[in-house]
Amino acid sequence: MSVYEIRNMAIQIDGKRLVEGVDITVEAGKCTAIIGTSGSGKSLSCLTPFGLTPGEAQGSIILDGIDLIHADAHQMQDARSRLTGFVFQQPLTALTPHLTIGAQLQEAAAQVGPPRLSRHELAQKLERVGLSRADERLDQFPHRLSGGERQRVMIAAAIAHEPKLLIADEPTSALDASLRGEIMALLDELRLEKGLAMLLVSHDLASVEGHADHLIVMDQGRVVECGSTANLITNPQEEYTKRLIAATARLDEPAPQLQAVGDILLEIEAVTVTFPRPGWRRGKIKAVTDISLYVREGEALAIVGGSGSGKSTLGKAIAGIGPLTSGTISWQGQSLPERRARTISMRALIQPVFQDPVASLDPQWKVRDIVAEPVKNLQSEILRKDRDAMVLKALEDVELGEDYLDRMPASLSGGQAQRVAIARAIIASPKLLVLDEATSALDPLVGSSILQLLRKLQQAKKLSIIFITHDIASARRLCHRIVVLDEGAVVETGDMDLVIRNPQAVTTQKLIAAS
Amino acid sequence: MLALVARRLMTAVPTLLAIILASFFLMRLAPGGPFDGERPLPPETQAALQTAYGLDKPLWEQAWIYVSRLVQGDFGPSLVYRDFTVSELVAQGLPISLTLGGLAIILALLIGISAGLFAAVRAGKAADKTIMMIATVATALPTFVTGPALALFFGLWLGLLPVSGTGEGWSWLIMPVVALALPVSGAIAKLTRAGLATVLKQDHIRTARARGLPETKILFKHGLRPALVPVASYLGPAAAGLLTGAVVVETVFGLPGLGRYFVQGALNRDYPLVLGVVTLYAALIILFNLFADLIYGWLDPRMREG
Repeated sequence: MSVYEIRNMAIQIDGKRLVEGVDITVEAGKCTAIIGTSGSGKSLSCLTPFGLTPGEAQGSIILDGIDLIHADAHQMQDARSRLTGFVFQQPLTALTPHLTIGAQLQEAAAQVGPPRLSRHELAQKLERVGLSRADERLDQFPHRLSGGERQRVMIAAAIAHEPKLLIADEPTSALDASLRGEIMALLDELRLEKGLAMLLVSHDLASVEGHADHLIVMDQGRVVECGSTANLITNPQEEYTKRLIAATARLDEPAPQLQAVGDILLEIEAVTVTFPRPGWRRGKIKAVTDISLYVREGEALAIVGGSGSGKSTLGKAIAGIGPLTSGTISWQGQSLPERRARTISMRALIQPVFQDPVASLDPQWKVRDIVAEPVKNLQSEILRKDRDAMVLKALEDVELGEDYLDRMPASLSGGQAQRVAIARAIIASPKLLVLDEATSALDPLVGSSILQLLRKLQQAKKLSIIFITHDIASARRLCHRIVVLDEGAVVETGDMDLVIRNPQAVTTQKLIAAS
Repeated sequence: MLALVARRLMTAVPTLLAIILASFFLMRLAPGGPFDGERPLPPETQAALQTAYGLDKPLWEQAWIYVSRLVQGDFGPSLVYRDFTVSELVAQGLPISLTLGGLAIILALLIGISAGLFAAVRAGKAADKTIMMIATVATALPTFVTGPALALFFGLWLGLLPVSGTGEGWSWLIMPVVALALPVSGAIAKLTRAGLATVLKQDHIRTARARGLPETKILFKHGLRPALVPVASYLGPAAAGLLTGAVVVETVFGLPGLGRYFVQGALNRDYPLVLGVVTLYAALIILFNLFADLIYGWLDPRMREG
């Protein structure tokens, strides 16, 4: 028997119709997941029926016998408070900063009315979602908790009043990769224990497929395809679903054919980076401790770790755009000094690409000038007309045409902007690209096309790549070898497939479980 | 939190000392002296007075003597009101000024926050625009315009309130306090509205709404406190403004507060009196800034860790 049933829902904001013809059914004890890229209308479809977006819903929406479309204010409040619990994406901002964890949990539990819970009962609720030292945490403010702990508090608050329906809007996408599996497992466990109906929203097929009973694929405000999870993934009917499944990297897919590698180009030895502690406190924070690694010609090396593992700091030190406290970085046996002391020809060897493509392009510059900038600085002897030809060639390499030359970054999509950023990185013919989470901020379809582009460039130009990421499955599509970092130190390294088949370190196992 | 208070009080001492020394020397740079009347005194009387008050000693020595007496709580004698010490004069004026300033800031907070709250709830509607326009006008009008205007209207025409002096009861306080509070309340209203507009869009408000809370509870329990952070940071400078603004209001309404002594003392070159008032003002402003920081920490617990 279904707890929540939506038939033929349409949603409009300011007269613009953004969602149309959506059917959703969620049954008690089961999980229905909506999958789609950003702008597909998935969050809108989940939150609008409860009046949590500026949108206006039409159609038939029945929650436990209550018609939400025709509900008056009182019934709506009842539906929100008694029947439904919500978990949102950003645990950092979704809790009220000036109320203690205990106060917020009490408020959540009291939304169905008295009695107030005792301190002991509140602590039990925190323990149930896997928080240790629960009693102590009741008096803490949200900012003292880590992201994963906050999301556990969110879950405890969402189910404190024993709702029938739990709506989880991207519950794990703001979390560290190694935590995602744990949070999803917790949600599964609670759902079965309490017979909760769960509606899950995600952009990431891989993170929901083991948990959802029913999948709904959305694109541009419409349902593309729906069905039971196993059925839909093994036997997708629609072209869009097929592309989405193919784009989602998974560890059980066949290993890619990577090109042969040459001699060692880059070698780093005993690299350590420390930062002074913020404020007045003494001492230093070791972001990266005693790391040694090498990259060969034409080889892609994955540096994988959770947030705070030091992977970005290491990448910046290698690219010469971040501090280096001690250790040596050498290029074909010749030592590369600290960033300011590098000569122009040394700088041309290594080029970076960053996570947020739109933010890493100057919004006031045209694409033509953005791409040309490294040539102006690194190869200043090149004449203007030759430079223009180089820009065109670089854009062609990243599969963008001449018509992009005069566009501004604001008019580019995320994928196009990342292609421009890659064009800027390769125009001065570097030997090594350092890509810091270069596909993480992109939709799965776009991210996988960027990965394909990188493989193509790797083969055509014999480029070496350092691919910094938290996502082992994506890294496997590109990289020969892997280095796993935890707390600034290498915990495991080796051939990509060997490590995936037989991971030794706990960190690696967690990251693999999360992929 | 105690650590914050202790640290602030420790930095307050050198700050105060710097302010006192700077005012001491700046004041002595100004031409004229305390004994230059309309009829010049005979040179020998002048010299005798100078010696009696120690004004013939080198400047550095005078400064040293002043500061060392100050440490013992002695503000020195007034050079113009010859029968009084500075402490006695301040003791007369300070209660009036503090009452005026304190009531004004409370009134400004009450008016400002409620107006800002009301405007934020009705954001974009006519009520919002009207309130914000009034707030702009209130902020822009100087007290030497609003003060006399109030006195003219309520005092002379309607005869409801006393125009000048302290008189009986509390009614004499109303107009000076309102005149002093108006510009500050306008600024607070604007800050509150802007703060709420930002906070009400944040995720934790959506969480509260998803919990089925009534809108008023969302506003007061989840929205208001973080929205008041900008107001708290404005309170320090606002307190300073109220103290200096009191000079004008006290003159307009003929109240024997500190402001009058401040202005008179400066005009008469009554060095110890001006220094005494400056020291007091500086100490109060430092204290208000400390209060503002403590309120800050209460409003947003994230600020408690420096």
